[in-house]
Amino acid sequence: MNNTFNINRFGKVLKHDGLNFFPNMGLALAILWAIPVIFYLFVSLMPGHETHVFDAYSRIDTIDLILKITIIIAPARLYKYCNDQRQGISYAMLPASTFEKFLSMVIYCVIVTPIVYIAGALAIDSILALYNGPYEGFAVPIYFDKHAQLSYIVDEHNMAGVFDDSWTVFLNSLSPTFMSFLGMFGMLMLSSIFMFGNMIFKKHKTPKMIGILILLSIIFMILVINYVAHYETIFSNWNRETATDILERLIYITINVAFYLEIIVSALLLWGVYRKIKTQKY
Amino acid sequence: MIKINNLDFAYKNTQVFKHISLEFKKGNIYGLLGENGVGKTTLLKLICGLQKPQHGSVTVDGHIPSMRQPQFLQNVYFLPEEVITEDTTPEKFVQKIGVFYPRYDFALFNQLMKELEVDLAKKFNELSHGQKKKALLACALSLQTDYLFLDEPTNGLDIPSKALFRKVISQYCSDATTVIISTHQVKDVENLIDPIVILDKDDVLLNASFAEITDKIYFEYGPERLQNAYYTEMLPGGYINVMPNTEHLESNVNIEALFNAVMKNKETIKNLMK
Repeated sequence: MNNTFNINRFGKVLKHDGLNFFPNMGLALAILWAIPVIFYLFVSLMPGHETHVFDAYSRIDTIDLILKITIIIAPARLYKYCNDQRQGISYAMLPASTFEKFLSMVIYCVIVTPIVYIAGALAIDSILALYNGPYEGFAVPIYFDKHAQLSYIVDEHNMAGVFDDSWTVFLNSLSPTFMSFLGMFGMLMLSSIFMFGNMIFKKHKTPKMIGILILLSIIFMILVINYVAHYETIFSNWNRETATDILERLIYITINVAFYLEIIVSALLLWGVYRKIKTQKY
Repeated sequence: MIKINNLDFAYKNTQVFKHISLEFKKGNIYGLLGENGVGKTTLLKLICGLQKPQHGSVTVDGHIPSMRQPQFLQNVYFLPEEVITEDTTPEKFVQKIGVFYPRYDFALFNQLMKELEVDLAKKFNELSHGQKKKALLACALSLQTDYLFLDEPTNGLDIPSKALFRKVISQYCSDATTVIISTHQVKDVENLIDPIVILDKDDVLLNASFAEITDKIYFEYGPERLQNAYYTEMLPGGYINVMPNTEHLESNVNIEALFNAVMKNKETIKNLMK
């Protein structure tokens, strides 16, 4: 018998975790699906205002925001007890390898939960778009079209006069495939952060992890502000063309660094999750 | 076979075991006895792989439990003292976990649920504490693992349920199954367990079968206290005296008296049983 991975046994682990999916996550998903619908209906029906219409792009932004919330809460809802001294015993004693349990956890937190949320959110969106209500246009055709979404951002900012032509050219030069991967790895990193938090904290897992992220963000922002203030005199001497050119390069480098950082951070945190499952004491 | 060799274990600053060595042979129903806090649950957790020894080794049929390999896990089941259950019926619960155990028998589960008088249709959270324990016991026995570890299984059971517990354990555990029952309620497991392991702080005071015990210790029921007894206790109608069996007389083990005798004469009985 292979003690690391066996496809039949892994199937059983997937089924075991799958049977726990809706009992643990169902109510949360229902609430998260309902939030934007209630919000849009509430805003559109508010008295004293003109009829609000929400286009597909803004609805996609909302769906993406709630998708992030779904990913954040999923590990603590699906695998809340796996490191609990008492309730985690049945998880630890389940006759499957650490790798199979870990893989199943990753699949449910990183793949299944987002897919179920997006499928439900888009289905609800499509149904509501059929009616003559506040929903304008279908979100489904453009949800997976990153190029269309980027063009929409560029057009919006052009209209607002934020970008000049060079910015438009720059933003259009960004590969939609690369941007899709950047977004996907961003989601993976987000999920792995909260999966790791779920394994290291016993109680208030999600709020504690959010607290840590806020703390890290504050530290990072202080460092960036100090850095910018330090080089302010240099920036002020640049002409507009040089500044645009350097900022474009900076954005390009930042996006690339972010991409590799997302991969490295995700890999390290997922390794941490694996180690915690393997070595957790009860 | 479970082999514990030179085991050291401590929780932060509290030493639980210090250089203990112990063996559990296959096919027996062991009673793991000891005062509160001596490490009965910890020992079961070490054998199950829920804790890792700081020094020494624990092996179960050659497997290192702390590695939690599927081949090991599919042959053991641990029923903790505190029953924490999911929001589901025992039937769905056992079907969910049963697929992982090669000898799992759903028909046996149903039979055990009937014998233990647990309502099949009710969810765990609709059952009383005792009913939950019985349902989980039915689950545990239906998995038919080689090793079954029960931590204080009779806590919370009413008197008829305790009798049912003894009945199903003796009836449905095969000759190949090793059961370790950790308890401090020795009366509940009387006539069920053999051999007995008595733990003390940092130490194992006794690990012997009833035959080995009665070979060296004599349980005398009489009208008076005997001077050379390890332990004497007043019973209705007389006394029980736990004494050295110098004349190789036959007697029946009284677990409670034995436990008290061992606790009062730790070194003497430990050396006697070596």
